[in-house]
Amino acid sequence: MTTNYTLKSVLLGAALVPMASMASAEKITIAVGHQSMCTDTYTAGIVVKELGLLEKYLPTDGKYADAEYDVSWADYSSGGPITNQMLANKLNFGVMGDYPLIVNGAKFQETESLRTLYVAGTGYNLKGSGNAIVVPVDSDIYSIDQLEGKAVSTPVGSAAWGMLLKAMQDNEIPTGDYVLKNQSPAVGAANIAAGKIDAHSDFCPWSEIMEFRGTGRKIYDGSETGVPYLHGVVVREDFAVEYPEVVEAFIKAVWEAGEWIREDPMQAVTLMEGWTGVEKEVLYLYFSEGGHLTLEPSIKQEWVDALKFNHGVLVKEKAIPPLDFDAWITEDYLKAAYADLGVDYEADKAVMVDPAVANKGLPMEIWHSRDGVSSFGTMPEFLKAMAEIRATAALVNATYVYDVETGLKLFGKTAFWVKSGEEYATFLRKGEAETYASETGGTLVSFDEAIADFIAEG
Amino acid sequence: MTLFATLWADVRGTWKQMVLHGLIFALLFQVFMMIALIVRFQTLPNYVTGYDWIGNVIWIIKSTPSWSDIPPIIWEEWLLEIGKMNYDYGTGISEWSLNVVPSRLFVLFILGAMVSLCLTLTKRDACSAGTSNKLRATTGLGAVLVAMTNATMSWVVCCATPSWVVGLAMLGLGVSTSLALETMGPILTFGGFGLLVALILYLAWRKSRTDLEPIPEPSHA
Repeated sequence: MTTNYTLKSVLLGAALVPMASMASAEKITIAVGHQSMCTDTYTAGIVVKELGLLEKYLPTDGKYADAEYDVSWADYSSGGPITNQMLANKLNFGVMGDYPLIVNGAKFQETESLRTLYVAGTGYNLKGSGNAIVVPVDSDIYSIDQLEGKAVSTPVGSAAWGMLLKAMQDNEIPTGDYVLKNQSPAVGAANIAAGKIDAHSDFCPWSEIMEFRGTGRKIYDGSETGVPYLHGVVVREDFAVEYPEVVEAFIKAVWEAGEWIREDPMQAVTLMEGWTGVEKEVLYLYFSEGGHLTLEPSIKQEWVDALKFNHGVLVKEKAIPPLDFDAWITEDYLKAAYADLGVDYEADKAVMVDPAVANKGLPMEIWHSRDGVSSFGTMPEFLKAMAEIRATAALVNATYVYDVETGLKLFGKTAFWVKSGEEYATFLRKGEAETYASETGGTLVSFDEAIADFIAEG
Repeated sequence: MTLFATLWADVRGTWKQMVLHGLIFALLFQVFMMIALIVRFQTLPNYVTGYDWIGNVIWIIKSTPSWSDIPPIIWEEWLLEIGKMNYDYGTGISEWSLNVVPSRLFVLFILGAMVSLCLTLTKRDACSAGTSNKLRATTGLGAVLVAMTNATMSWVVCCATPSWVVGLAMLGLGVSTSLALETMGPILTFGGFGLLVALILYLAWRKSRTDLEPIPEPSHA
C-alpha cells in the first residue's frame, strides 16, 4: 500500500514537472517607442522592427530558457509622449533625439523612484547637420542675417529649436529682432509650401523633404553651429536591471541595423520608404555613403559634452529639472553587446566622422528611376551623364553632389552651381557660391545651365 | 463656526445643482476647446483614439515603486484623443489634437461646482448691483485662471512635452510669453482656486452675518 502510494506520488510528481516548468515560464513584455518620421532614429526603430532584429538577438538560455517574449512597437511623432509613456511603464525603451532625450532623463530623475538610462546612440552628425532653416523656394532670403524682422517658426523644444536659438545668437540676432512661432513640422512644411511663413527651422528629414518636393530651400544648415546632432536609446532602469541581456540584445540589433543599411543603402532606403512613407531619395541623402548620418551606437565624450550643452539651453529656456549625467549615461550595456558580437567597442568609439574631411573626393551620384544609382568621379562626367539622360527623356529620381565648404551631401537641383572655366563647384549657400565665383573668376549658373553646357557639346 | 454651518447648509441645499453644473462645465469646456481648434486651423478632426484609462491607472499603481510618483504620472493619462492627422508626410502626423484627460476633467468638474456655488451665494447676497458685478467678475477671474491652466489641446507634436501653454501658443500667444508662463501653471491654478475659495467664504460670512442680525422692529408699531 505504501509502495503504491509512493509510486503514485512519484508519477504525479513526474507528470507535474513539465506543468511546473510551464508555470514558471516568464512572459517578458518589451515595448519600444520610436519615431518613423525622424530618420536618425531608424536604426533603433523602424529597421529593427521590420527586420525582426530584436527577436533575433533576444536571449534564450539561462534564466531566459523558458521566457516568452511579447515585443510591441509604438510609433510617435515626437519624443515627448514617449517619455510620458515610459513614466507610465507602458514603454520600456524609447528612441529619440538629443533634446527630448535630455528631457526624458531629467523628468525621470525628478521622480523619487524611477530612472532611465541612456544606453546607446543610433547615429550622429558631428557638426549638427540634420537640423536646418528653410525658406520658401521663391523667397529672396539667402542667409540667416536676412531673418531680422522676419517670422521664423520651429517646433519649440526640439533639437531644431535649440539649433535656431544658437544660430541666431552666433549671428548676433537678438530674440526681439525676429518673431519666433511655434509650429509642428507638418504645419511648418505646409506653411513653407504656401509661402505663409518667412522661414521654418526643423529637424531631420523635414528640410530635405521640402527641398525634394521643391517647396523649400535651405539657408542655414545645423552644421554651422558646430554642435553635434545625435539620437539615442533610453531604457527604464528597473527593466535594465531585471533584464540586462535584453538591453544588450537591443543594442546588438541597433548595431546590425546600421550594418544592414551600409551594406546596400539603395535597397535599404527603398524598403524604408515603404515602412515610413518618407521618400527614398530623401532617405538616401541621410543613409548613403557621405550622407548626413553616421550610423554607430557608441557613446563618445563629445556626445556627453553636446548633451550637457543642450541641457543648459533647456534649463535657460524651459526651466527643465537638473540632470545627473554620470548616473544617467552608461556604456556598460554597449560594451557587453559589442563583446558578444566580437566587435571592438573602443575602436568604434574612437572614430569620429567629419563630413568636411570624409566626403572629400566622394563621387557625385544620379539615381536613375530604372537603373538605380550610378556614381561619377568628376563633375564633367556627372553633367555629361545627366545631359545624356535628359536627351532620352528618361526619368531621374534624384541627383547628389557635395557642398564645397562643409562636405554636406546635397540634391543637385538645390545646390548653387559655380562655373569657373571648365570647372564646376557646388554650394549649399548662395553667399559662399558668390564668394567662390568672385575668387575664381567664375559665374553662378543653374543646374539646368550646367547640364546644358554638355548637351551643346554633344 | 456659523460661517461653516451656513456654507454647509448652502452646499447641502444645492449639491445636486453643483454636481450638474460641474459636469456641464467640464463637458462644455471640451466642446469649447474643440471648437477653438477647428476655428483656429479651419479643419475638422479626422481621427479619434480611445485609451484604456482604468487599465493604465491600475498598471501605473502596480508598477510604480513610490506612492509619491503615482499621482503625477496618472495626472497625464489620456482617455480620448481627437485630432487632425496630416497624411501628406510619411505615414501621417498629428497636426493638432484635443486630449480628454480624466484628471483635468475632474479639476474642471470641481471648478464648475465651485462657480455654481459662488453664483448661488452671490444671487442670494443682498448687496448693491455694483458689488454683485464685482463678485461675479472675481468668480470669472478665478474660473479663467483654473480653466486656462487645464487646457489640454496639443499642437506642437515635436519633442516638446505637451503642456497647458501649448494651447495658449496655438491660440496666438507668442512663444516667448508662453514659455515664460509655463512654470507658472500650478501657481495660476492654485491662485484661481484660492480666489474662488476666498470668495465663497466671504459670501458665506456675509450671509451668516445677515442671518444673525436681529430684524429691527418697525418704529411705528
